[in-house]
Amino acid sequence: MRFFKETHIDFMGKRKVWYTVSIIALLIGLSGLLFKGLTFGIDFLGGTELIVQFDRPVDVGRIRSALDRSGMSGLEIKSFGSPQDMLIRTPMQVEGTKVADAIKATLTENIPDTPFKVLREDKIGPKIGSELRRDAVYAIGATLIIIMIYVGFRFKFIYGVMGVVALFHDVLMTLGFVAMFNGIGPYLNLEFSMSMMAAFLTLIGFSINDTVIVFDRIRENLKVHKTESLAEVMNKSINQTLSRTIITTGTVVMVLVILFFFGGEVNRGFAFTFLIGSVSGTYSSIYVASALVLDATIRRKSKTQRTTR
Amino acid sequence: MKKHRVKIILIIAAVFLSLYFLYPTYQSYRYSEKLASLHGPDSLSYYDSHEKEIRDARMKRIKLGLDLQGGMRVVLEVDVVKLLDNLAKNKDDVFNAIMAEIRQKAATSDQPLFDIVRAAFESRGVRLSRYYGSLRDSDSDILSQLEKDAMSAVDRGMEIIRNRVDQYGVSEPSIAKQGGRRIVVELPGVSKESEVRQLLQGTALLEFKLVKDYDVTAKVYEAIDAYLAKHGSDTTSAGIDTTAIAAATDTTKPAVDSAFAAVQDTAAKGHPWLNLVRPQQIGAMLVGIVSDDNRPRVNRILARPDIQRLIPNDMEFLWSAKPNQRIIGEGKKWFELFAVRKQAELTGGVVTDARATIDPNTNGPIVLMSMSSEGAREWSRITGANVHKHVAIVLDNAIFSAPEVRGKITGGSSQIEGMDNIEEARLLEIVLKAGALPAPVTIIEQRTVGPSLGEDSIRKGLTAAVVAFIVIVLFMITYYRTGGAAADFALLFNILWILGVLAGFGATLTLPGIAGIVLTIGMAVDANVLIYERIREELGTGKTLRAAIDPGYAKAFPAIFDSNITTFFSGVVLYEFGTGPIQGFALTLMIGIVASMFSAIIITRVLFDVMLERGASTINYG
Repeated sequence: MRFFKETHIDFMGKRKVWYTVSIIALLIGLSGLLFKGLTFGIDFLGGTELIVQFDRPVDVGRIRSALDRSGMSGLEIKSFGSPQDMLIRTPMQVEGTKVADAIKATLTENIPDTPFKVLREDKIGPKIGSELRRDAVYAIGATLIIIMIYVGFRFKFIYGVMGVVALFHDVLMTLGFVAMFNGIGPYLNLEFSMSMMAAFLTLIGFSINDTVIVFDRIRENLKVHKTESLAEVMNKSINQTLSRTIITTGTVVMVLVILFFFGGEVNRGFAFTFLIGSVSGTYSSIYVASALVLDATIRRKSKTQRTTR
Repeated sequence: MKKHRVKIILIIAAVFLSLYFLYPTYQSYRYSEKLASLHGPDSLSYYDSHEKEIRDARMKRIKLGLDLQGGMRVVLEVDVVKLLDNLAKNKDDVFNAIMAEIRQKAATSDQPLFDIVRAAFESRGVRLSRYYGSLRDSDSDILSQLEKDAMSAVDRGMEIIRNRVDQYGVSEPSIAKQGGRRIVVELPGVSKESEVRQLLQGTALLEFKLVKDYDVTAKVYEAIDAYLAKHGSDTTSAGIDTTAIAAATDTTKPAVDSAFAAVQDTAAKGHPWLNLVRPQQIGAMLVGIVSDDNRPRVNRILARPDIQRLIPNDMEFLWSAKPNQRIIGEGKKWFELFAVRKQAELTGGVVTDARATIDPNTNGPIVLMSMSSEGAREWSRITGANVHKHVAIVLDNAIFSAPEVRGKITGGSSQIEGMDNIEEARLLEIVLKAGALPAPVTIIEQRTVGPSLGEDSIRKGLTAAVVAFIVIVLFMITYYRTGGAAADFALLFNILWILGVLAGFGATLTLPGIAGIVLTIGMAVDANVLIYERIREELGTGKTLRAAIDPGYAKAFPAIFDSNITTFFSGVVLYEFGTGPIQGFALTLMIGIVASMFSAIIITRVLFDVMLERGASTINYG
């Protein structure tokens, strides 16, 4: 059974179109980032976060006014996966776990008719939050550099660079989507937490995966088809690997959709992010990476031609 | 068949190894079931007769992360600045100023602590040998020695905390060092957070200090009172708020009473000190009674340098650890302020054993302590020389009790009273037995997962994994036919090996870890897809089956290797960067990648080769 008979799509010829599409998509994503912004979880901000489960759904307003009366205002209160589960969070930094205790006490006093139990309670000191932010940047930077070196080493340097550019593209696009979709629907909780970080790092690894497959085919075909132009070889390679690329992405997407619906609230953010990231990653492997290498090579060739003339 | 002997042996060995590692998990599960099905004494005797096996199985089984079984995770940071403070001698104002600067810089900057220390001393042109080591030691020598001391303090702190946790009775706790000064403590199944916090944070510095006589104390009180009356009261310039005088505990003092009456009539203006700190005679002591809301003010006053000059050098003021239960006035809580000799007569190091029990005389909880022989000797000397005076039992700079010395105590025993209940006494017992922390620790991160969320998470994770597996299996068979079936077969091995490696390394399975397994299921087929697409291509150029399989594998290999390595790298970075659950994910990702490469390349290859040799003329690759 096959989805794709032999294809002969002229990918490289149409690349200007796809550059435009990419740039538009990136702009949309960036605007989402700029205007709506990313919400950070307490992993990165520090503070206290409480997830409680009430016996019956309780109105958010009631909780908020109860907390207001105890002098705690401006807390973030939202549902977490089901109408009975509430997430209460504040970046307040107080010694020890006084904040969490105060919140629990307030809830017990003011909502006496509906008992609750604590599903999870986190308190993160300020230093840890800022360290994590710093570490996150280092981690992403380190991964990109390692990948660039490795790919540059196994193929040619320009491939390494463009592969990483494609990764940037994926990360930015995914960040943008995450920012845009955060909060749409009561159960789509897409704040930037450690598991989101994990999703980004993994999808960087995964997207380059795809890209390397295409590069590998190009490398092989260049050896065999020495007379054809780079553009033709690239086209051929992408067409040849198209089937595999789509299918692998397809299986991963299937798995992620399952994770999104069945894997529990905790994994939902991860699944969503990776989903967007893998689609973007596939797209970038097919269009962006190779096309950029092509254009860079053309420009370099014309430069050397001009200088040697 | 013969050619593939090596490969087949490898595969079978790997399978057996995995099963061997996973067996304890199965065993442990069976034991739990058995224990749950028995009742009462039967269950207990079953446990006793099989105790070793049950514990062994428990130790070797796959550990579940906190997010799956519920529990607490606490990250403690050792206060190295305080440690440096404690280690110094000849402390003076210059030293205190330097320490304050170091503390402030350390809190805000990322610079390594000892660089800050060096800079702070150098900028003032002060040599470290003034306060540490001997005069001839160079600054760098002293600094490196201090660094070693700090490290060993963290290690000792870790041991002491481990001791305390063991005695508290948590199953499978995990205590590890993180970086230079942090200790990560994971306590599965624990939910009494406030107890745990007390257990972990109390420095347990036990000291016995002599309480100053009534006359001496009274003179100081009068001096302070007169000074404040003349120079204006507390809202003050100095602004150094000492919270060094800490917590509250209780002193069961015999006299309580209407000593207030004596003080009631002091006019507020004329006696600012005596009105805040109402003097009361208890035995041979002068104790100040202060209401809870006034304590910060009193602390501020005592911290003022001009007031400190009125207090003799060998005297310091310490608070009672608890409010006095028997003083009830104006509906407030009342704490006691004691004047004690700064230098401790005896410290907790001499305590060899502690036991929490109920005092038969008072029915209140107490902790009995026994001392070492030198301790006992010293104790007998101290008590002999100070009959009818009071010795304060100070824990973490707060006074639990200050009993009168009725006579010389030779047996080396003493007791602490004043706890609220027997649980608190028990905590104190644990903390005294395990020893004092060399430096205080602060909790910088605390995460608690309730058990119900844990069970829920396991269920959801497993559901997702099973559904994903079924979907992928069906897809592969539909799309790649026989090849797909072979790939699915290899996938099973894959999962078995991931779990086996996790068990073998004693790694922890977390919810993101389960997500990692699910993801691996999706990505594992990738290698197979690469190979099969290649084989289809080769077949398409007209090659025979046998001639198509070889190049299929060979040409696909570099692509498989390169692409999986890059994902592996990001797994490594993630493992270094993440904590707890995220590390679990990175681990399953990395193991999964290696396992899937192995199974795709070796297992399926062996399968096809065997099939070919058995005479299959076609293998359907879809």
